Amino acid sequence: MTAVNSENANLPRRRLLAWLSSVGLAGSAVLAVLSDLIFFKPRVTYGQPALFQIGKPEEFPPGTRIAREAERICIVREGNKIAAISTTCTHLGCSVAISDTGFACPCHGSRYDQDGAVTGGPAPKPLPWFKVSLAPNGEIEVDKNAPVDPGTYLIV
Amino acid sequence: MSTATKEPGLWNAIRELPSNVWSSAFRNPLPSTDLERASTSFTNFFLHIHPVKVNRHTLRPAYTLGLGLISTFLFVILVVTGVLLMFYYVPSTTQAYDRMLDLRGTVAFGIFLRNMHRWSAHGMVAMVFLHMCRVFLTGAYKKPREFNWVIGVGLFLVTLFLSFTGYLLPWDQLAFWAITVGTSIAGYAPLIGKQIQFVLLGDTSVGQEALLRFYVLHVAVLPAVLVLLMGVHFWRIRKDGGLSRPEPPAKTPEAGIVTMKKVYGMQGFVRGPFTKLGNTPDDSVFSWPNLLMAELFVLVLTVSVILVLSLAFNAPLEQPVNVMHPPNPAKAPWYFLGLQEMVSYSAFWGGVGVPGILVALLLLAPYLDRKPGGVGRWFARERLLANTLFLTLVVLNLIFVVIGTFFRGPNWTFVSPF
Repeated sequence: MTAVNSENANLPRRRLLAWLSSVGLAGSAVLAVLSDLIFFKPRVTYGQPALFQIGKPEEFPPGTRIAREAERICIVREGNKIAAISTTCTHLGCSVAISDTGFACPCHGSRYDQDGAVTGGPAPKPLPWFKVSLAPNGEIEVDKNAPVDPGTYLIV
Repeated sequence: MSTATKEPGLWNAIRELPSNVWSSAFRNPLPSTDLERASTSFTNFFLHIHPVKVNRHTLRPAYTLGLGLISTFLFVILVVTGVLLMFYYVPSTTQAYDRMLDLRGTVAFGIFLRNMHRWSAHGMVAMVFLHMCRVFLTGAYKKPREFNWVIGVGLFLVTLFLSFTGYLLPWDQLAFWAITVGTSIAGYAPLIGKQIQFVLLGDTSVGQEALLRFYVLHVAVLPAVLVLLMGVHFWRIRKDGGLSRPEPPAKTPEAGIVTMKKVYGMQGFVRGPFTKLGNTPDDSVFSWPNLLMAELFVLVLTVSVILVLSLAFNAPLEQPVNVMHPPNPAKAPWYFLGLQEMVSYSAFWGGVGVPGILVALLLLAPYLDRKPGGVGRWFARERLLANTLFLTLVVLNLIFVVIGTFFRGPNWTFVSPF
């Protein structure tokens, strides 16, 4: 090949190499950002466990309506039916308090009825109910990872 | 060393040591001629951020009100006091609040440093905001300064986020519930809101992980971002031709045209309106001492005000965190109360939608409003529409802040402060 020809023949190859290296660099940048995101998302958390036991059914006599503040749930017992309602406001995550008509949030004024349905304020959704079951050791077990339909009770 | 050589002489070297060290550090004497004034700005590391000459208009206090400078100096105070506070602070849920009490009780000047840090932080949020208002109302964001306005909006957001992350660190009631509310607002962002909230908190609720994350953001990540953006912001001021000012009355330049024959050092190649060749009649004065004195004055004023505030008022510290009982009403820091007030109507629109639109409008302002007139004057008639729109939004936000601060009582019900 002559010098002039080889110069021309090299051009597509150079362009291809430049293109490949650009793709490589951009790809590495994207991968770096992605791995950062993965890094920042914790795989283990150290806070409140989502599955926990709260005691034997006898500790909650019929008519009980008690907020367990550490777990941020409200245990309701009517007759032989037991349920757990979340006390985390669905608006912006404050702890709602038990009020005469149900629940009231001190942060932005959301109100809920006895079953957690929204009756006022900016809350977009009703308070979720959590799955309640009887563990083999006879204690009531609440699973905050398992929301259930409102009105779903555990019969004891 | 070797025996004293004849000419310089060891004795002479020792005798002239102080003046030699001085002149090696400072290449120029205190300036007494224009050449020396120019060289001082060129050769001193700390002064070369200045142009050699500035326009007289730039130095008018009534034009800038010194707001950008005040913000910068407040940031310097925040860095100094913040680093000092770091020596006694531990980002742990069990220790953080006790360390706050230690700052009050046992650390020498602890309460004073914390006051300075707190009041400077509030001041910086306010001053950065007012600086943005000044730039808008004088039309200073127009071509060629559009991009510096965009950087400025970024600086404003980083300032807010810095203040927000700092709020959690005392681990008192205000801190805990303000962060609970703030991160829940992030959770309303479409599609990835819950992911953002989880990554911010490092957990499903505010706890040790969140404290550690906010601490690292507050003391390392965000200050680094802020310093970088500030550097670009300052650099762009110079490269965009100095501070905005009215167009000078048309004059035919007698000199100032670069010809191939006359090149005055590197200055001859600098593009833009700051190239000064020959005896161009202009309205500029030397930075040394005019600009320097103005800056010094603003610095002394800023530091004095912060010192007096910190001596007179103590930074608030509420009860230690009680995860069970949010205070009623639970209020965010004052500059977020407008946001909180809007959030009480609709979490998505108040917390994400409206703020997102406002930020987008701010970012796009210089690209939407491209009429060149009215730059360099307050409330120019040509800019009546833009200024009115801007002021309306500012006043609306202030009204929301005032309502949230004074007119909201327990359960966020409407109360009268009187």
